[in-house]
Amino acid sequence: MKNPLHKRLPRELKGELGKYLVVFILMVLTIGMVSGFLVADGSMIVAYNDGFEKYNIENGNFRTNQQIYKSQKEEIQNLGIKLYENFYIEEPLDNGSTMRFFKNRTEINGVCLMKGEFPKATGEIAIDRMYADNNELKVGDTLKSQSGKQTWKITGLVALSDYSCLFQNNNDSMFDSVKFGVSVVTPEEFDTLDQDKLQYNYSWIYDKQPKTEKKEKDVSEELMENIGEIVTLEAFVPRYLNQAITFTGDDMGSDKAMMIILLYIVIVIMAFVFGITISNTIRREAGVIGTLRASGYTRKELIRHYMALPVLVTLLGALVGNILGYTVFKNVCAGMYYGSYSLPTYVTVWSAEAFLLTTVVPVIIMLVVNYGVLRHKLRLSPLKFLRRDLSGRKRKKAINLSPVIKIFSRFRLRVIFQNMSNYLVLFIGIIFANLLLMFGLLLPSALSHYQVEIQNNMLAKYQYMLQVPVSAASGNKFDGLISLLEFYMDSRTDNEDAEEFSAYSLNTLPGKYKSEEVLLYGIEPDSRYVAIDFNDTKDTYESSENTTDTKDKKDEAGNKVKADNKNTANAEKESAAVYISSAYADKFLLHVGDTITLKEKYEKEKYLFKIAGVYDYTAALCVFMPRSELNDIFDLGEDYYSGYFSDTELTDIKSQYIGSVVDLDALTKISRQLDVSMGSMMGMVNGFAIVIYMVLIYLLSKIIIEKNAQSISMVKILGYTNGEISRLYILSTSLVVVLCLLLSLPLETVIMKVLFREMMLSSISGWITLWIDPMIYLQMFAAGIVTYAVVALLEFRRIKKVPMDEALKNVE
Amino acid sequence: MFLQIQGIKKSFGAGDSRVDVLKGLDLDIERGEFCVLLGPSGSGKSTLLNIIGGIDSADEGNLVIDGECLADMSEKKLSLYRRKHLGYIFQMYNLIPNLTVRENIEVGAYLSDKPLDVDELLHTLGIYEHQRKLPNQLSGGQQQRTAIGRAIVKNPDILLCDEPTGALDYNTSKEILKLIETVNQKYGNTIVMVTHNDAIKDMADRVVKLRDGMIRKNYMNEHKIPAAELDW
Repeated sequence: MKNPLHKRLPRELKGELGKYLVVFILMVLTIGMVSGFLVADGSMIVAYNDGFEKYNIENGNFRTNQQIYKSQKEEIQNLGIKLYENFYIEEPLDNGSTMRFFKNRTEINGVCLMKGEFPKATGEIAIDRMYADNNELKVGDTLKSQSGKQTWKITGLVALSDYSCLFQNNNDSMFDSVKFGVSVVTPEEFDTLDQDKLQYNYSWIYDKQPKTEKKEKDVSEELMENIGEIVTLEAFVPRYLNQAITFTGDDMGSDKAMMIILLYIVIVIMAFVFGITISNTIRREAGVIGTLRASGYTRKELIRHYMALPVLVTLLGALVGNILGYTVFKNVCAGMYYGSYSLPTYVTVWSAEAFLLTTVVPVIIMLVVNYGVLRHKLRLSPLKFLRRDLSGRKRKKAINLSPVIKIFSRFRLRVIFQNMSNYLVLFIGIIFANLLLMFGLLLPSALSHYQVEIQNNMLAKYQYMLQVPVSAASGNKFDGLISLLEFYMDSRTDNEDAEEFSAYSLNTLPGKYKSEEVLLYGIEPDSRYVAIDFNDTKDTYESSENTTDTKDKKDEAGNKVKADNKNTANAEKESAAVYISSAYADKFLLHVGDTITLKEKYEKEKYLFKIAGVYDYTAALCVFMPRSELNDIFDLGEDYYSGYFSDTELTDIKSQYIGSVVDLDALTKISRQLDVSMGSMMGMVNGFAIVIYMVLIYLLSKIIIEKNAQSISMVKILGYTNGEISRLYILSTSLVVVLCLLLSLPLETVIMKVLFREMMLSSISGWITLWIDPMIYLQMFAAGIVTYAVVALLEFRRIKKVPMDEALKNVE
Repeated sequence: MFLQIQGIKKSFGAGDSRVDVLKGLDLDIERGEFCVLLGPSGSGKSTLLNIIGGIDSADEGNLVIDGECLADMSEKKLSLYRRKHLGYIFQMYNLIPNLTVRENIEVGAYLSDKPLDVDELLHTLGIYEHQRKLPNQLSGGQQQRTAIGRAIVKNPDILLCDEPTGALDYNTSKEILKLIETVNQKYGNTIVMVTHNDAIKDMADRVVKLRDGMIRKNYMNEHKIPAAELDW
């Protein structure tokens, strides 16, 4: 015979529809979102990885200053690679962005058509889908060159497999999908473009693929030297260094852990809400439980009975969530990736891991928490249930409240004491929901604050980084010498604002977080742009080779610092101590007196620097030292310089020698791109936070009212009005909510500081200072109060509905 | 006449399952009178008490208290009526579990402009030393004393008692009945008490016997005896 208790389940569900419905909706939303994310993430990673083969993505590319001859091509191909022409021309457009034009590719770096069709005639163009989105361009629109001489009709939106991330230059710290786009046109149309701007870019595929990145590095380095012997190189970028190709893959999947944690926090909170609800039900049904137990029903049977609905709701929520995840939310999440990266179309891949994480684990969490609560609650003897004595061994004593306090205040305090466990869950829920809300509100404001901050403390309005042509370092020695001479002559400026500086790039040591590039500036004495006096900050610098230590060294005492490894040949040189940028200090929590260790990106050589001061510069991770010192340390030659600081634009330097110009646009690329990538997500985060908050307050205040239904009914009989009863029962929750909101703010600030730091450390290069606009606190508080007001109104209705005969049920 | 009950009818359910609980009752009670409603289960005594208390409504008939007609009152006015005129005592006490003895009584006191002195009342009720305890720390008798305190602290015109000794042992029941008697004498409240304990009728001024929703007997007690002398 079937357990007759099962018949109660649909009735319980019907009776508590509101509660189960909101929990179900929350579960569906959370599980759906996370499942959608995991499926989209997994499917897109598969699509991205498969793309290398599917679209025949290059193993690298190099650029020459002129087209290579057939014989040169053959000679290069004999080095074990196959060469493909991948020429491009860049043209500024009238919308302020730059478009890189390619001929449509057939053999290498395939193009995925996302919408419309490929260009077939002159005057037609297929542009990158991401760039089109960010510039509100669609198929059928027309692009116009800045000069206004040429226009192109957009026939299609595409994803170029070698530009999944729109890095214009490989040295850029962040990609820019707003002001830089790529496109394909017909060969005929390509020929109509300004051929003076033609970039002779060649892609290659290895005949025999290197197996590891280390091998790839060795092979590519050798290749660069060998190609340099044959042609004059202007750029040489092997695939593993090409950010336009690799950045997307590195970044995808990094948010996965965060999403899963988010899911589990919601599930655990919901499990505790169920736990509290169950305690309430057990209290209400003490007589029934006592009778059933006395009749011979086992504790296990009752545990199973009371656990059935929460677990079923979770299971159903998980299943519906998964269905929605695979259908609706998958597209939303894929949209987020499409909002950041130029990815090709993907095929949904079923993910067993996603199913496990979003269905099996939540149900297990729900099972465990509910089982624990029920086991604990049902441990009492049947007699105790029959007597409704559920207080366990200890009888609770009343907390003393002075009669001087007005009865309403004492009443409210008693309600608060009675529901401490509810309020504790509420407090944790508020912290969690508010953290999400805080994140959603602060990211846009932190980004705009960062932009203003950068603008205010730029080193100079322009930083010109000169670029020695690749030909000077490779190929035949005579040509190299000539190239170098030309470079020195044509990279001089007469602009009086210009001030030379030398620069050298090193990396932080890889450890918990990925290794990051740090730019070392060699500054002129009495620099007009960087106000640091190095005269009284003499210290020690060491260079060590082959050390294996992977942590930044800090020497608080300020003594001479030596490298750890005793076998290394230390080359100690007296050197001025360095200043580091405030961004560097903030990111790695460095202080004056600490010692930092940096290394060559692809070498083992390490450098130790003592921090003499922190320079207020938030735009990048930098180290400042006297120019002579820098040139000396890195053997760059006494007169070496890498570029100019200038507050006015330099117009007399040959453009080919300008590697990059660091201006405000370049410095704010990170914040601009983060704004584009994550900005749209923030609305969703805020919405989700408010939903969680609302559901929690709704459920917990509902429980409080239900728990006190008989008392409410009694005071109604006594003659209390609904308003007065609300002042007793709703106002007490209101006070707790206000208190929780206020108390949670400083806690959330502390947690946010840690989380934001972790996020910045793990996901971006550079540093964005956490800045919390005071208005955010006000907004969070207001959002909390307004949301609560809605719930309080619902609760007022509930109080109105409590019947007076509730007190006549003879249940104590 | 202080309390007039005229042609009160009440039924529950509809169609075949319709049960006529009260079939047209007429009853007058004087101010300060101690009236006992006697009858077996299902006789309609508790329903009548609830209608007098304004927590249930009659299908037909009229109920006038001190010149005010209950049938004309809105929900809000009924609340005010209960607040001004009524005190309620239940079989199962219905104390607010998270309030102390004193606070439970103060919940009643709040409703009155001129409540009785809480400390004095606690002494009268014999629960002064328990005033800081929660209901679950009290015996049944102590809980019922607290419930009486809550009901009378606002010095109501009518005290409605629904089987106030139904859950208590003999001695405690007598203690409670003595207390109710004292309250009636000391404060002069009209008391309407529902009970199925026949012995209690001897302490009442008026005895009303109900059966099947009708008044079978309604008489003034010629030989009223104090609660202390009751025996059953």
